[in-house]
Amino acid sequence: MRIGLVCPYRWDVPGGVQYHVRDLAETLRGLGHHVEVLTPAGHEESLPAEHATWAGRTVPVPYNGSMASMQLGPVSAARVRRWLREGHFDVVHVHEPATPSVSLVVCMTATGPLVATYHAATTRSRWLAAVGPLIRPWLERISGRIAVSDFARRVQVEHLGNDAVVIPNGVHVAPFAQGPSLPGHTRGVDGPTIGFLGRYDEPRKGLPVLLEAMRTVVREHPGARLLVAGRGDPGALRDALGDDLAPSVAVLGEISEADKAAFLRSVDVYCAPNLLGESFGVVLIEAMAAGAPIVASDLDAFARVLEDGAAGVLVRRGDSAALARALSDLLADPGRRARLSAAGQAAAAGYDWQVVARRVLDVYETVVLAGTGGVTAADDEDLAAAGAPDGVWPSLFRRPRR
Amino acid sequence: MTPDAWLLLAAGVAVLLLAWTAWTLTRLRRLEGRVARAWSVLDTRLQQRAALAADLASEHAAVLGEDRATRLKAVAHEAGRPRTGDRELAENALGRELRALPAELPGVPARLLTELAEADARMGLARRFYNDAVRDTHLLRLHRFPRLLRLHADRPLPRFFDVEDGLDAVTTGAGPAAR
Repeated sequence: MRIGLVCPYRWDVPGGVQYHVRDLAETLRGLGHHVEVLTPAGHEESLPAEHATWAGRTVPVPYNGSMASMQLGPVSAARVRRWLREGHFDVVHVHEPATPSVSLVVCMTATGPLVATYHAATTRSRWLAAVGPLIRPWLERISGRIAVSDFARRVQVEHLGNDAVVIPNGVHVAPFAQGPSLPGHTRGVDGPTIGFLGRYDEPRKGLPVLLEAMRTVVREHPGARLLVAGRGDPGALRDALGDDLAPSVAVLGEISEADKAAFLRSVDVYCAPNLLGESFGVVLIEAMAAGAPIVASDLDAFARVLEDGAAGVLVRRGDSAALARALSDLLADPGRRARLSAAGQAAAAGYDWQVVARRVLDVYETVVLAGTGGVTAADDEDLAAAGAPDGVWPSLFRRPRR
Repeated sequence: MTPDAWLLLAAGVAVLLLAWTAWTLTRLRRLEGRVARAWSVLDTRLQQRAALAADLASEHAAVLGEDRATRLKAVAHEAGRPRTGDRELAENALGRELRALPAELPGVPARLLTELAEADARMGLARRFYNDAVRDTHLLRLHRFPRLLRLHADRPLPRFFDVEDGLDAVTTGAGPAAR
């Protein structure tokens, strides 16, 4: 099958949607399909050499607490049209088509089998409420809609009146399941460690709650250490720690994908104290794949991934006392950690990209009807249809079909 | 205002209305095609499921037991073209019969059972997309202007196809009445 994937966000900036598109493309190629990616980026050179097309630069706008990229205009429309014409796709799969991005431009330009994946899970999106009715005519062209979580699906149903099938985000399970640990932090050997991963200066990631909880945890487990990995300002974080907590917290800074897997394999407990705004807990699945027992806040998305507490411990969000109790109890009970680790690994297997990509392929096969041809740019089709009896105007006078 | 200005204004409104009408007709035509394609996929998948169920009933009657095999055969046959005309009812009867199958069926090739489970899941997917297409059509057709201008040209409003499919139900009302 020839598949075109459209990523709305800058390829050279790390983000969930970008990784999703990259991994889906890789897995589908592994299954023997031809996959092309269309995406914006800061520079054309920052894209992979093959099977990726540059859709131009984007203008950053604040959206959903982060920065989204905006891109509309005649130049990107021309690029999209050329990409569609040269790609000869059987199906085009756009991501986040309701954002003012190249994804929406593709919806406006393409005709033929279109599939869309919705990632965002904001309950009340001013953008969607305002422009939902305006962009509806183009979103109508999408024949198969996917949401990455129940939450993302609810946004669809409420804002746009559409339904979607839920197919979760995928994770490459194997690279997380086996491999080395971080030197000096082998799980179960080198003293108990708690892991935190994420942009730690973003308040919604909830690190302050975890730090508050750590003060209680180190009282009960004096050897326990918190490892903080991710982007942020280490100076500001050290100031926030104070003298009492500084010896028990190690700031690892930004780590590579390989180090991330090693990090998740090393920690005795992985903690996700996020306060809001997570559509999907990919990092939780990665931690489960790496066999780390998890303590996470009770966001809907997290509860879903952790199977309502069967594959990890859920605590009330923002409640540092409850978090401290959960962490201390878990550090004191190696048997329970082992059970949670096993349950987590079993749960993570269902999110392996091999499984998820096959479900996405099922969607492609459902919208690609044999013999109807692939995706084309709309103008080409309209030109072809202008002389045909099936144009716009004759339908004014046509009698109803029986 | 002078009569000329009035005329210009009227012409402007007429052009806008025409443009909007043409655009809406394009949307309706596109949606009609989408509903037709989605239905043809759903129809194919329903027939595939019924055919597999009929295979199971006729080739492995001994394993299923006389009663169950006869029942399954009857509902599988009925599902294709029901005498009562209610396809949803007939497909639901087949779905219920398939779900009631015992988990262990010794002697039945595993391939047939996997295919049957897959056919069921793929039917669910097709149904979801068909109903989504119908919902989009309803949202447009039931707007005031398209209805007043009768832009649908007396074509029947497409119907939702409701059968159990094991997929999660829609959590909030998003039917045609939600607007």
